[in-house]
Amino acid sequence: MCGINGIFSYHSAANPPREPELLATREAMRARGPDGAGIAWSANRRCALGHRRLAIQDLSERAAQPMASHNGRLVVTFNGEIYNYPALRAALERDGVRFQTNSDTEVLLHLYARDGAAMVHRLRGMFAFAIWDNLREELFLARDPYGVKPLYTANDGWVFRFASQVKALLAGGAVSRDPEPAGVVGFHLFGSVPEPFTLYREIRSLPAGCTQIVDAAGPREPTPYTSIAHILTEGSACGAHDEIEDAVRPAVLDSVREHLLADVDVGIFLSAGIDSGAVLGLTADAGRRRMKAVTVAFEEFRGSSDDEVPAARHMAFRYGAEHLVHRVGEGEFRNDLAALIEAMDQPTIDGVNIWFAAKAAKEAGLKVVLSGIGGDELFAGYPSFADVPRWRRRLGPLAMLPGVAALARRMLPACVPGLVRRFPKAVGAFDRTHTWPGAYLLRRSVFLPGELAQVVGADMAEEGLRRLRPLRCLSRMLSPDPGSDIARVCVLESASYLRNQLLRDADWAGMAHGVEVRVPLADAALLRTLAPVLPRFGAGAGKAALARAPSIPLPDDVLARPKTGFAVPTARWLAAPEQERGLASRRWSQRVFDGLMAA
Amino acid sequence: MTALLALVTEAFGGRGGIAQYNRDLLRALASAGTAVTTLPRMAPDAAPAPAGVRQRRPRGGRIAFSLTALLTAALRRFDIVFCGHLFMAPLALLAARIARARLVVQLHGIEAWPRPSRLRRLAVERADLVLCVSRYTRRRVLNWATVAPERVLVLPNTCGAAFAPGDRAEVRGRLGLAGRRVLLTVGRLDRRERYKGHDRVIRALPDLVAQGHDIVYLVVGDGDDADRLAEVANACGVADRVRFLGRLRPEALRDVYRAADLFVMPSTGEGFGIAFLEAAASGTAAVGLDAGGAADALAEGELGVLASEKEFPDAVARCLAAPPPDRAALAGRVRRRFGEDAFQARARLAFEQLRRGE
Repeated sequence: MCGINGIFSYHSAANPPREPELLATREAMRARGPDGAGIAWSANRRCALGHRRLAIQDLSERAAQPMASHNGRLVVTFNGEIYNYPALRAALERDGVRFQTNSDTEVLLHLYARDGAAMVHRLRGMFAFAIWDNLREELFLARDPYGVKPLYTANDGWVFRFASQVKALLAGGAVSRDPEPAGVVGFHLFGSVPEPFTLYREIRSLPAGCTQIVDAAGPREPTPYTSIAHILTEGSACGAHDEIEDAVRPAVLDSVREHLLADVDVGIFLSAGIDSGAVLGLTADAGRRRMKAVTVAFEEFRGSSDDEVPAARHMAFRYGAEHLVHRVGEGEFRNDLAALIEAMDQPTIDGVNIWFAAKAAKEAGLKVVLSGIGGDELFAGYPSFADVPRWRRRLGPLAMLPGVAALARRMLPACVPGLVRRFPKAVGAFDRTHTWPGAYLLRRSVFLPGELAQVVGADMAEEGLRRLRPLRCLSRMLSPDPGSDIARVCVLESASYLRNQLLRDADWAGMAHGVEVRVPLADAALLRTLAPVLPRFGAGAGKAALARAPSIPLPDDVLARPKTGFAVPTARWLAAPEQERGLASRRWSQRVFDGLMAA
Repeated sequence: MTALLALVTEAFGGRGGIAQYNRDLLRALASAGTAVTTLPRMAPDAAPAPAGVRQRRPRGGRIAFSLTALLTAALRRFDIVFCGHLFMAPLALLAARIARARLVVQLHGIEAWPRPSRLRRLAVERADLVLCVSRYTRRRVLNWATVAPERVLVLPNTCGAAFAPGDRAEVRGRLGLAGRRVLLTVGRLDRRERYKGHDRVIRALPDLVAQGHDIVYLVVGDGDDADRLAEVANACGVADRVRFLGRLRPEALRDVYRAADLFVMPSTGEGFGIAFLEAAASGTAAVGLDAGGAADALAEGELGVLASEKEFPDAVARCLAAPPPDRAALAGRVRRRFGEDAFQARARLAFEQLRRGE
């Protein structure tokens, strides 16, 4: 993990970039890259790039960034990992390319020189990078298909800026803080700010799976080169003949093996669940022994079924890992709360668990850890894989009738007040639940669209919903239609919850501790391989196949353990009344939002 | 050849900043090979359209203008409909749909800052390209319009080659300004445009005089607020130092720009502030407020001084106390950023975006 930034004064009336601004933005990302820092100027002095380095591949100074091509034409600033870089390098060398370093960064320069923007199709990994071309006087940006690595841009009409963090762009002092109602509303709807929006109107995320060109005419609209829906649609067209397990095992083993590529030790975040356990088991199959496995546990859960330590310990022992347990109590949570919210780049209702996991990893001396994030989306692990199709089927016919949704919103609170108090989203049961986006929004939303006026004010809610158009956003994710219920929910979960919340949380929380979080189960190549069998992952079949993927399968009790998610006792710590604990995410969202707004 | 229909309030034969902007833009497009047809609401002065531009007879009435615009769009082939003012955006959208042409909407200043009516907002959101004269106007537009930010470009004003340093001593002698410290503001004296800040300048004069400056304040422009401003000058005891020159012919305007020691316009509502450019291109230092589009015209302080409203009187005093700028160098810097060549290159780049989007 690294921090990248840049300023391009593309408009001929604009002043050239100011170095103090470049450095202020870069240094706001110091925690992302404690091992080194650099800047580079374009030949015409209209573009400046910055980089903060966390050294993982080729630890030498030769691999420092920003890195220029041997002839000085191209300069790259790169955040992430290209897992297939050895193969790419070998292919380039066969074409006569000579390398100066052993880093994946240099591969990007040579690939871009040869293939231009089409290079992104060859990359396997998590990445966000910018390449300046001194000949064309043009900037090229790209982001990986899942959106594991962040990339934020700001264009004021004269100057284009980018950075790995929203707060870093603000730290430069030249970016407008005008609020983005779509970001504010999006956070309260989904629990995280949906891309491309942020809380600030001028700052946008380059969407996952997109490239963008900026030249003297300014930034072009981002161009998608792939999407989760495209990958699944293409895969479903292939048809599946394999047994699920025959397809899953080699594919996940291959992904885990690729994600182990590093010149430093790699550890793992180990919970009591199938995803991280399977990844740990597969690392053993890939030849890694005595891996450091970090488990976060909460004092409040000690001895209860929510305590992840016993099952995690069992798995660590099974696969020969060195098990490190970090128990968090209310005192540590309260101590860290201000720092946690400070490090949170965009508001999210999650991230507490991974904050403490990354903290423990750093204390264990780790720079790189694997995580099972993405497993529930890929192997149909969430209840939403059953709920969303079922709700659509059962509620949909009534939801299609004119007036039913409005009637339900008005009548349910009066007729069944107890139910509505406990499950406030019940009033939205017929709000376009005949559509996939509508049913998904009901399942995932923190607040319903109709409740937003009370939370953020009527004007902000109206304007935010108009700008965000949440149902249309979700609908676009489903284009092209991947063809099966499982694949549709996989797309929605991967392109919404996973991308905007889990992966973003892993980035900022890991970054705050200088720890790179790798996600072998959120890998586009893996998704492509499994796409033909993915429609058969329902009713636990996908998770069962994952559990049996290691040559020593996961213990049966892990498979049988009810899904708890990463339970965090924030409700208790925030002193929520007992009867409101079921609404913890709503309280936490308010706390986080207020904290970030006050910053 | 690309054919463009321009629906504008004024262009050739028009007055004021918007008419000037439309002339500059349409001339630039025509010189790049676009066949331009202009339909203005007004053209009070006789002025021929340049080669490549066909200006139709002005239609003052709203209905006559709208019908002519729609009929023109229906009967002839156009690739682009250019809308020169937010107020015409819904009509331009309809004309573009009829002509199956792409829509470009030009937004200037204060009229585009607050959220407009639903229909106007919709028209802007449907535009293929939105041009704003400054970053500030762009920022305000993006706060109310749901449109991809990449489609909203900044195409700042330009100023003609006629604004250049000249024989300053001769002009000052002729205007009876020898030995005086001359402040200048150029802008309409409209009671709806009091944001331009003539009051702020007049109220700062007593202190400047007390500091020993023998000030003359030249106010160029006409409008219905002139009498009130004269009363303000009277009340401040500086009536003998404020000269209201009214609207000037172009040659006289160039002279007063050259004669001035300092151009001052503490306006809070400039879409861009072309007068800043004209002053600086004439080699005269300028002071404005760090508000609205002035930051662009003064290039964030590179071409003049930007001050807060509170600091404005001190900024003027400091500028009067400082040595005069290298007038030729200042004019050259303005020309490089905002000269006609730079404007034409940017206009072509902006319209190339349309072709790339096809």
